[in-house]
Amino acid sequence: MTIDWSWIGDHTDDLTTLTVSHLQAALSAVFFGLLISLPLAVVAHRVRPLRGFLLGLSNVLFTIPSIAIFVLLLPVSGLTRTTTVIGLTVYTLVVLLRNTVEGLDSVPVKTKEAAKAMGTRPFRTLLTVELPLALPVIMAGVRIATVMSISLVSVATYIGDGGLGQLFTDGFQRDFPTPVIAGVVLTLLLAVVADALLVAVQYVLTPWTRRRA
Amino acid sequence: MALPMNRRALLGGLFAAAAVPALAACSGGITSLDEGSGSSGGGSGSSAGGLTIGTANFTENQVLGYLYAAVLDAAGVQTKVRPNLGSREILIPAMKSGDIDLLPEYQGALLHYVAPKATATEEGEMQNALTIALPAGLQVLPYGMAEDSDAFVVTRETATKYGLTSLADLKKQNGKLIIGAAAEVKTREVGVVGLKEVYGVEFKEFKSLDSSGPLVKGALKKGDVDVANLFTTDTDILDNGWVVLTDPENLIPGQHIVPLIADRKADSTVRKALAELGNVLTTTDLTELNRKVDKDKKDPEDVANAYAKEKGLTK
Amino acid sequence: MYELFKDLGSWLTSGDQWSGYDGIAHRLAEHLQYSLLATLIAMAIGLPLGLLIGHTGRGAFVAINLASFGRALPTVGLVVLVFLASGLSMWPVYIALVALAVPSIVTNTYAGMTAVDPDVKDAARGQGMRWHQVLFQVELPLALPLIMTGLRLALIQVVATATIAAYVSFGGLGRYVFDGLAQRDLVQVMGGAVLVAVVAIALDLALSGVQRFLFRHRPA
Repeated sequence: MTIDWSWIGDHTDDLTTLTVSHLQAALSAVFFGLLISLPLAVVAHRVRPLRGFLLGLSNVLFTIPSIAIFVLLLPVSGLTRTTTVIGLTVYTLVVLLRNTVEGLDSVPVKTKEAAKAMGTRPFRTLLTVELPLALPVIMAGVRIATVMSISLVSVATYIGDGGLGQLFTDGFQRDFPTPVIAGVVLTLLLAVVADALLVAVQYVLTPWTRRRA
Repeated sequence: MALPMNRRALLGGLFAAAAVPALAACSGGITSLDEGSGSSGGGSGSSAGGLTIGTANFTENQVLGYLYAAVLDAAGVQTKVRPNLGSREILIPAMKSGDIDLLPEYQGALLHYVAPKATATEEGEMQNALTIALPAGLQVLPYGMAEDSDAFVVTRETATKYGLTSLADLKKQNGKLIIGAAAEVKTREVGVVGLKEVYGVEFKEFKSLDSSGPLVKGALKKGDVDVANLFTTDTDILDNGWVVLTDPENLIPGQHIVPLIADRKADSTVRKALAELGNVLTTTDLTELNRKVDKDKKDPEDVANAYAKEKGLTK
Repeated sequence: MYELFKDLGSWLTSGDQWSGYDGIAHRLAEHLQYSLLATLIAMAIGLPLGLLIGHTGRGAFVAINLASFGRALPTVGLVVLVFLASGLSMWPVYIALVALAVPSIVTNTYAGMTAVDPDVKDAARGQGMRWHQVLFQVELPLALPLIMTGLRLALIQVVATATIAAYVSFGGLGRYVFDGLAQRDLVQVMGGAVLVAVVAIALDLALSGVQRFLFRHRPA
């Protein structure tokens, strides 16, 4: 199995377009996942009975094969990018929900009580005490969700989208390894770079977790 | 213990940065950062807003899609090709819902999909039958010269071993042979269902593979399947000396290439451009184009553009 | 909507659907075969690796980041690539599933090993135990809960992903999803999805139960 480097040279435009499209899908899914999971996590954290239900439901959703979710969304939103993003968001949501709840759980009770004793209202406590302290665990979740999302985008090639995944179906149909290799390498690169960037973001956002010199 | 100003700003900035692509994805389901097609205003069809060409999940359909794009672009219509979307079962609903506007189709196969019990066999009859049977909002433009039919194929060894020359001969081996085809063939009239009804054929097993692609051809070569559903323009049939079983009862209708288009996009510019293409493209030409893509690994888009230019359909 | 669920119910319970080559019983068996075999192979590779890295402390970087790498690997791409290299065989399926499971097993085994109190290891060495005695008689038993969690998680992941066998013409429950897509038979797709989810959850509950029982005497 050899790589046709001239093909890669001729197709840098296409590869770039696909990479950008791929990234856009993955990032959108993480964004919407965060948007939905944050309030849900707060509810799950504070409302005891709902917690088991929400976490249990997300565990079940996680076991549904991604290809199935994409296909089942077709009657809802058709052969569009929307379908892909909704499907991906189901998975980012699950990961982010778990991690955010865990993060909120990890906030020491004493700290919350101190804030309460100072007269801070619950919402402000959430915003200025709980979420910042939960940030390391939440960021870990964001990292996992982002990497996973980048990998899952290619499954959407079976519903006509898929970003870099389209290279896989193309290479498969024509018995042509080069686009497939290009797709795998680019996907991995995207994931590595995204992960590294998020580590940097976490470093900047949580100075109190840095080791003392 | 609030987050200091600069960190809050960073967090907000990140959120906003992620929001932009997310919102872009939201607005009208764009499939890439390129401009999608909008559907034009009412009245009798207008391609003014550009049109989206969808293609099925096999090579030839993509070549056809890009050929359509090439001639339409030359005629001044803005096009966007969405390759590899899936089977007809996925594409027709997509046409109905407006996700795609134009689709290269196959006359007989399309007819039997929308009207399984259709009896028309002659091209003109089929075209009329299609016009009646197609759901509102969709229509077929005149069919072209080129043709690509379904074929049920066996290896030379299998043909000799069981004495197979026509589909009728398969009945003698009922319950013994394995057939390989794309999954949708299991439920189609021009497929397993029709083979049973018209020829009384029953297979031992149906293996879901692909549309004349690497899976079904690999399986036939390896002996994992005895009968394979391939396309007549597939050069591998000749290259491997495979035998196409004849069809005395005309289960498989003629399948000229015919453009399936949404009513709202079918204006005279589109009709003219596609009719010209239909009159130029021959089955031999199409087979050669497929070979360039599959064997020579050329891009369907490049191959289509080169052909259109060579035939004087574009500048 | 209600119609769809009603049809799904009949699909899942009809005798016809359970029997035969394309029946639920057969596809379920295939799916379990792919999942269990792949997980066993992944264990054979991942456990020794995780134990070694955990015991020696070297290669920790690999252990920690392998999980990220495994998560980033696009299974579709891997399956297609191996298919192009090896043709119509089970290699693409097993290589992709093993590649998915190994990182998870290595990372969790390593985590289990690092959770072992270093004082206990010191004490063991102080008593004159050799490295393999320390590893197998002290570290491994103590790390076992986390290791088992890693195995359980890997198995669940593999079960959910074994649908990829259908990408390259093989069986398993993924067949229902793929064929359902091609035939636009949503009930079939849902059936496949529900079955995979049920199997994964059932295995998860069963193995958690086993874990809880095995380690019932350990402090929480």
